[in-house]
Amino acid sequence: MKAIIATTVFGVIMMFAGLWVNDKKSIAGLATFLFAALLGVTIWDLTTTSVNSPKSLFNDMLRSEHYSLWFNTIMTGCSLLYVLLMGKEVQKVGKYVSEYFALIFFILCGLYLLSMYNNLLMMFIGIEILSIPQYILAGSDKRNLKSSEASLKYFLMGAFSTGILLMGITLLYGAARTFNITEMVTLMHSDALNPLALAGILFIMIAFSFKVSAAPMHMWTPDVYDGSPTVFTAFMATVVKSAAFFAFLRLFQVSFNSLSEHWVMVLAIITAATLLVGNVTAVFQQSVKRMLAYSSIAQAGFMLFAVLAVNAVAWQGIIIYAVAYSVATIGIFAVLVKLKDYTYDGFNGLAQREPLLAFVTTIFLFSLAGIPLTGGFMAKYYVLLAVVQQGQLMWLVIFALLMAAISVYYYFRVIIAMYFKAGTPEISSPVTGGDKFMLVVTCALVILLGVLPQLFLTKV
Amino acid sequence: MSLFLEISFSAMANGLHNWLAGSISNATLVSVTEMAIAGVSLLLFLVPLCFFLGYMERKVAAFMQIRLGPNRVGPKGTLQIVADTVKLLFKEGLTPNASDKFLFNLAPIIVVVTSMLAMAPIAFAKNFQIWDINIGVLYVSAISSLAVIGILMAGWSSYNKYSLLGAMRSGAQIVSYELSVGLSLISIVILTGSLRMSDIVASQADGWWIIKGHIPVIISFVIFLIASTAEINRAPFDLAEAEQELTAGFHTEYSGMKFAMFLLAEYINLFIVSAIAATLFLGGWMPFHLGNWSFFNNVMDYIPGSLWFMGKTFLIIFIIMQFRWTFPRLRVDQLLTLEWKYLLPISMVNVIIVTMMAIFGWHL
Amino acid sequence: MELYDILFWVLSAIAVSCALGVILSRNPVNSVLFLILTFFAISGHYVLMNAQFLAIVNIIVYAGAIMVLFLFVIMLMNLNADVEPQKGQLVQLAGVISGGILFLVVLASIKTAKAEIMDKTSTDIGLISNLGKVLFKEYVLPFEISSVLFLSAMIGAIVIGKKEEVKTSATAKMEHVSE
Repeated sequence: MKAIIATTVFGVIMMFAGLWVNDKKSIAGLATFLFAALLGVTIWDLTTTSVNSPKSLFNDMLRSEHYSLWFNTIMTGCSLLYVLLMGKEVQKVGKYVSEYFALIFFILCGLYLLSMYNNLLMMFIGIEILSIPQYILAGSDKRNLKSSEASLKYFLMGAFSTGILLMGITLLYGAARTFNITEMVTLMHSDALNPLALAGILFIMIAFSFKVSAAPMHMWTPDVYDGSPTVFTAFMATVVKSAAFFAFLRLFQVSFNSLSEHWVMVLAIITAATLLVGNVTAVFQQSVKRMLAYSSIAQAGFMLFAVLAVNAVAWQGIIIYAVAYSVATIGIFAVLVKLKDYTYDGFNGLAQREPLLAFVTTIFLFSLAGIPLTGGFMAKYYVLLAVVQQGQLMWLVIFALLMAAISVYYYFRVIIAMYFKAGTPEISSPVTGGDKFMLVVTCALVILLGVLPQLFLTKV
Repeated sequence: MSLFLEISFSAMANGLHNWLAGSISNATLVSVTEMAIAGVSLLLFLVPLCFFLGYMERKVAAFMQIRLGPNRVGPKGTLQIVADTVKLLFKEGLTPNASDKFLFNLAPIIVVVTSMLAMAPIAFAKNFQIWDINIGVLYVSAISSLAVIGILMAGWSSYNKYSLLGAMRSGAQIVSYELSVGLSLISIVILTGSLRMSDIVASQADGWWIIKGHIPVIISFVIFLIASTAEINRAPFDLAEAEQELTAGFHTEYSGMKFAMFLLAEYINLFIVSAIAATLFLGGWMPFHLGNWSFFNNVMDYIPGSLWFMGKTFLIIFIIMQFRWTFPRLRVDQLLTLEWKYLLPISMVNVIIVTMMAIFGWHL
Repeated sequence: MELYDILFWVLSAIAVSCALGVILSRNPVNSVLFLILTFFAISGHYVLMNAQFLAIVNIIVYAGAIMVLFLFVIMLMNLNADVEPQKGQLVQLAGVISGGILFLVVLASIKTAKAEIMDKTSTDIGLISNLGKVLFKEYVLPFEISSVLFLSAMIGAIVIGKKEEVKTSATAKMEHVSE
């Protein structure tokens, strides 16, 4: 709860900073400081809540369970990492630097709501708070037509999926007569089931699939991720997506667990389609940024495994996947914004010119592909383990492994371009010592995740 | 308070109700008949009212410009407006060929109907109201904000650039000034603690809000007058029909009866706005009382409530009509600056002050 | 049949047919006007449930403000039926089939649902004082948190709406190869 208040206040502080501070650098510095402070607040929240007794807040609107607070802390840490790596690039997007940071703080407010909600109303508000700043950030580069297109497309699609979500919530309310997701559980048994609830679950599932860009509803993702300013794509594809997944998992784990026989197959097909579309289409991309958009769809397919497996390991899986994926992707985007040309050819010969950049990029790509000793491997291991423990859907696990093998192809294309092709990559902004230090830290995090994943896990 | 007019209005309504209930057995039919009677009597009230307002407008204009005004048709020109109406009725109602004919013909009806609907909760006298809805104030502001839809329809369906421009201006104007109107209404609602018109009037039995509420209420009264003048598109805020720039604005293509309907709606809106101001700030049908002067208060009580209400309403109408000949028309940017940079911040601060006043009981 | 039932059915018929009109009419202005009518019918339903405050707020917010802005924008852009891109036959067919399947699923679930009859007599939850109490006691957190939502929307209006110095030729060059 303290984190929600803090992030709102910090957002407002950033808004006023835009009024009083004209220097973009000091605004970014202030934002970095506030993100660090926010991390402190989330840790404070975490340490003051006991593991076994979740606190119910405001008539059970929120429930601060330990794993929610842990997720909050980790995602705030990722945001801090993001600002440290890319704070400089945010300044280049446009005039309203302080507003961009304010919006990111508000997004984090939505994230905290989504990790702690215990009421469908709070979930809805959380999703909206998460989404609306993103539409704005997507369109923040007003000199670029593609950015405006991305913003509009994202907004229209998002508004549409929100409508579907509301429809689902309405049907669910009609069946359960409550918005409270834990009270709802008593009505969610196959014998006393109102069929309206099933339709509601279907609608909510579709809406969440929109938000996390799962396969039949993924159409907006490549255009939006490609068109938005690269710095903001990095944030959208990582922290925000993880938050949507966490909310997805929370609702389906807490409320619809006992009904899993009804929806598991639908979600399994969505997962398979997501893996297929994401991985196969990524192979054919010429732009690395667009490839990363498709790869984020593919990674969403893996994260869906956590939702599919309705057990305790799923929580650990989603958290470790979220952090592994976020850190690696933020790292890659941090390298990407340094380059002028986003095609594969733009990476040609990077190993000669900037050997360190090439090395960390390789590690990040290893992680995304799921090579052992990196965070990505452990993440994939945990989510697949969760499903295997359920003892069903083995075909899907095998299919996922196959798709992971395909993903190696397009991730390694970048590595091949960097190390084995000649060329002189154009660097748009100089790589300073600070940048290198932060990249090495990120890289270390990725490896740490792969070696000691227990550090990032919590008891559920 | 035993006065024949006051009693007779509410007694008439009650008697009618009892008679209908006695003669018709079906309860549904009774309420339907009552609604019909209320509607017809509203029409019978509104048409002469608009005649009078039209005449008054000309006379006030003449008064402001030191001239005589209409003085040929009828005694002192009183029949001039009748002659004008007859002329309008007999003119051909043109419908442009390129227009969206259905919307074009629908627009004036919507404008008139919305302004008539807003009459429902207005208290003409004690216990004499069409519908004493529990959210009367909100109802009026909601319904009156709908007139803009009719105006936009008229402007768009005419297929004429002046009409469209006029409608656009009107839309921007009404949507922005609605906020100030709403906020100044809210200040009285906060003081009264009720949205019901009859409660608001009853709360002013010991003094009108404009006297009881000190300066903050006077501020919101002034803001209400300015903003509602803008909301009904009257000069100096008549950009929607600025004749020098837009021919006649959104009703350029209208003639005959359909044009007369726009005119009718304008006068009804003027009356409603003034009636709301009179009810909320000047006590509606409540007579003017002064402290403990029982003799003075008794004399005041002998004036019927309906006369008090009409007197106050027409006082405000008179003020709004004077605006028209006092201030030059604003430019669009000035119009929006006035609302967003001056009226809205002032009324927001004012609402906070009024809230404090209501909490701590600082009002009289 | 009581007056209540007659009104209910009339309002429902208006609401459904106008909602159909929104998606079926070719002219966007007509769609918006149909949508306004739909909102009116829904407000009528609120009044039937003795929730006058909700009814009026529905009118103020949707019919009075949002729809007016909609009309505004659509009239400014002057969209017409012929501007709308026509989708191919195959896409239309696919849309019809998938929409029809979804419709069937929802219909089946509603058909077998346990319908609850609304209690007509004793509902005064929609009255403004009760609504205020619920809003500020039980639902105070969503009520307050939604201010963050509005704040970010306002920031968005400023960030996107305000003019920025435009570099004309730079736009095309900054594009990166895609697809």
